[in-house]
Amino acid sequence: MAAGLARRDRRFGLLMAGPGLAAMLLVVLFPLVFTAWTSLYEFTLLRPVHDLFVGLGNFAAALDDGGFRHALRVTLAFVVAVVLLEFLLGLVVALALDSVERGRAVYYAILLCPLLMNPVVVGLIWRMFLHPTQGIVNYVIGLAGIAPVNWLGDPAVAFWTLVAVDIWHQVSFMVVLLLAGLAALPPEPYEAARMEGAGPIRAFFWITLPLLRPVITVTLLIRLIFAVRTYDLVYIMTRGGPGNATDLVSYFIYRQAFVTLNLGRAAAMSLVLLAIVLLLTAWLHRYMRSLRA
Amino acid sequence: MTRALMLSTAAIALLTGAADARTIHILMESVPDTRFVQEVVPEFTAQTGIEVDIEVVNYAEMHTKLVPQLVAPAGSYDVIVVDFYWVGEFTKAGWLQPLDERIAASGFDTSVYFPAMMDLVGRVDGVVYMLPFYNYAMALTYRKDLLEDPAEQAAFAAKYGTPLRVPQGWDEYLKQVEFFTRKPDLHGVVNQGLRPDPIAMEWSNYLFARGGEYYDPATWEPKLTSPEAVAALEDYKRNVQEFGPLGAASFGFDEAFNVAAQGKAYSYITYNFFRTAYDDPSQSAVVGKMELAPVPVAGLNGGWGWAIPRSSPDPDAAWQFIAWIESPEIAKRRAALGGSPTRADVFADPDLNAKYPYYPALQALLEGSKNFPVFTYTPQFVEVLGRELSLAVTGEKEPAAALAAANEEFRALLRQDGKLP
Repeated sequence: MAAGLARRDRRFGLLMAGPGLAAMLLVVLFPLVFTAWTSLYEFTLLRPVHDLFVGLGNFAAALDDGGFRHALRVTLAFVVAVVLLEFLLGLVVALALDSVERGRAVYYAILLCPLLMNPVVVGLIWRMFLHPTQGIVNYVIGLAGIAPVNWLGDPAVAFWTLVAVDIWHQVSFMVVLLLAGLAALPPEPYEAARMEGAGPIRAFFWITLPLLRPVITVTLLIRLIFAVRTYDLVYIMTRGGPGNATDLVSYFIYRQAFVTLNLGRAAAMSLVLLAIVLLLTAWLHRYMRSLRA
Repeated sequence: MTRALMLSTAAIALLTGAADARTIHILMESVPDTRFVQEVVPEFTAQTGIEVDIEVVNYAEMHTKLVPQLVAPAGSYDVIVVDFYWVGEFTKAGWLQPLDERIAASGFDTSVYFPAMMDLVGRVDGVVYMLPFYNYAMALTYRKDLLEDPAEQAAFAAKYGTPLRVPQGWDEYLKQVEFFTRKPDLHGVVNQGLRPDPIAMEWSNYLFARGGEYYDPATWEPKLTSPEAVAALEDYKRNVQEFGPLGAASFGFDEAFNVAAQGKAYSYITYNFFRTAYDDPSQSAVVGKMELAPVPVAGLNGGWGWAIPRSSPDPDAAWQFIAWIESPEIAKRRAALGGSPTRADVFADPDLNAKYPYYPALQALLEGSKNFPVFTYTPQFVEVLGRELSLAVTGEKEPAAALAAANEEFRALLRQDGKLP
């Protein structure tokens, strides 16, 4: 009787999830399979037909491409920088906001503003702000007697400019998620700790951080995956330059597809990127779980 | 109640009627000439009943938006405008309809176009695929007020032993750049160093001015490792790093133009259509102070052509529009609004010459400009060249090494295209 009910339950569940699953298959699985299929052919937009099978030739060519490897390295540095900095900054802000009693909604609204903006708009605004002679940033630091900075024209500076703009844009994402995690923490362990005489620092390291770990894992994962995909900012602000200092891999693959028109090669590069992201995700997931053990 | 019903029925009838009207869709770049086209288009609709929907986007998005529509059996654009450096790619892929039959049938006179424009954005291997729309040959724009200032002239003559005048030679221009560099208020030059096309297009002027070439016209053998090319890149790097404003290595043409329009640069080698913008007080602090001259020795030619894609849903209406917008009367109207002409009859028009005294200089520019290499992989070559030039300008590569790398990739692309064995 109970087994029958469970089976009926399961069937009903599948029925309800069916349309959603079908849509998922169509919009996620189909492009993925098409990409994998295309990556095995010499498929260009000049001749968009799957008739020249090259096996793993596109993958070999991608890995042999110095520009692609460079773009992967730049992207890795970018992802590590933005995810770490945004996490640290986000955690500090979230902890501060967690103890705010009044007007929290106001802070929320202010924090969410950058997050609601389209990255293209963010890029354009900052490109104007950072104009070396006519931008407001150099004007303001000039008032403090600091020499104007070549924000986007110096290869050593441009990378960090991009990181900083990304932080400005995305840090609230971390704040909001971490804040939600903090709000859900049970009060009992803190009361117990206070009874035992533990100070706020010990409570943070021994209670808050361990209890927050699942939220932190998810936040880091999502942010990491999004950071790998960063494209709009580079496209608007630097076009991968100056030199190739900010040539992130998403923009590189885009050019492979729409400037070079070589979709086969671009598909192979996307799959390499997908494999790297999956590996990173798996590693981060396991690492966070091992911390608990 | 009845009245409301009648009204809404009428409204519905109107709406469906509007949907029945023929509409042609065009993708265009956000440049002054597009604005002038938009201004005259209502007349076309009034004459023919054909609605014209012009989608205006940033240059960098155009190629990406066009290609999927051109590959598709039925695209969404009836008319497109083609930048000269897509011409090889688009015709090789068979994305454009030949226009010869339509031109003959409607008796359109193509002989009025400058031959250089027709070669660039008109005819490919004897077949007409496009009508030249506007030209954007690059010109030297400079501060006329400074050049004509007697005190400056005396100081220049004392320092260099030559008169200060509109530069006739490349070295003469470089001396003026050095002379007028008085940081932080004035820079001798402002450059557009953003990769890929701003830097690649601007540097082409330096290459031609130094007497260099992209390739041997007889054999397509690339010539980017020539001493002239290396010298041109050294000139460019010095201008950006020593005589230009901070950040020029990352400027697109809008940012570079702003520096010049704010009176912070003596000169800017740029697209000639900016000439009218300098005299627009809403975007310029140097109204009446900037003038245009051909780049000493030779500059870069450029232009756009009107074309009908193979995937055009309504090629007949498309041709009707192209023939109308390029008719002598409308071409003159567009020029009168400030557009960049491609037709000899427009350049010869007395009213326009009275309005724009720089027309003879512009015509000389068109006749003397050189073309960028046009082949199937031009966009890809621009990408490669832009990257290597940017690496050299920011000091990450020696100019000779950067050009050697660009030369090799240029050769590989030419081989891929069958231009080289």
